[in-house]
Amino acid sequence: MITIYKDRKDIPQNMEYVELNDVFFNKNTALVLDERAKKIAEQIDGAVLVGKFKIKSKFNGVILDVDCLSTGCKTVLNVLYFPEKVFCLKECGENALEVLYSLSQGAVYCDYAMIPFDMEEVQVCEGTETKRIQDYEMLKEWWSDEE
Amino acid sequence: MKSKPIIMDHFFTVHTSYIVNFKFTNNITILTGESATGKTAAFSFIKECMTINPTILCLNYLDYQKNIQELLEKEKGKLIVIDNADILLNDEARKYISLDDNNQYLIIGRNPRNLFATGENLFELVSESKGEQTEFRIEPYL
Repeated sequence: MITIYKDRKDIPQNMEYVELNDVFFNKNTALVLDERAKKIAEQIDGAVLVGKFKIKSKFNGVILDVDCLSTGCKTVLNVLYFPEKVFCLKECGENALEVLYSLSQGAVYCDYAMIPFDMEEVQVCEGTETKRIQDYEMLKEWWSDEE
Repeated sequence: MKSKPIIMDHFFTVHTSYIVNFKFTNNITILTGESATGKTAAFSFIKECMTINPTILCLNYLDYQKNIQELLEKEKGKLIVIDNADILLNDEARKYISLDDNNQYLIIGRNPRNLFATGENLFELVSESKGEQTEFRIEPYL
């Protein structure tokens, strides 16, 4: 399951925080994509990976550089391939969030609630406290400090 | 927040097989929705128009190191298009935008915080194939 931080100061010092998912993807993740990325690119962007750095666009079938994936898709792939880092969650749409929340590991940060309607169990970190949440409303409450 | 667009109520451009055909009904348009609908592609086509239309200013993550509010305060009479707004705009810049009566805004993002937005400000991108071309329009976000 993924781990969620809602306060930047709670991110462990040994975990790098990445806010610019586009830049990180273009410079790092794009270089290590493998079979795992194919399904995610198709699920979120409707794009087909047709080469190491090429995708087939869902709009008109043209071949584009992999940097044309959506920021939401890039974020999910960043989290998948670099679970030791914490990535900003803010630019994920609902379709990207659904995939992100289903990952078996990885870490994200956002100071406001970003939850897919169909969520799976996540781990949340606040201060020194860590706990697991399986429910949409409970996670929303945690994020909005209404507990 | 309901206010009529002060710079333009219609933006149209063509980029090879893509058409951007946006009708604005509000001075602040927040373009939101799922990932991969074409928001950033549309942004890049609008940005191309900066070269021939001086009333357009486009900002995105490449401007991350700049003081966005200072930059906005210097502008007058422009349609300011901001992609990656959720990481580019801090609370102060958002408040400035909500009160700015010198410029019009198209903000691409998901967080309406401090923009004093209502449902009338929220739009999503829709695309339609027209022969070999793809047209992007904006429609109210439900």
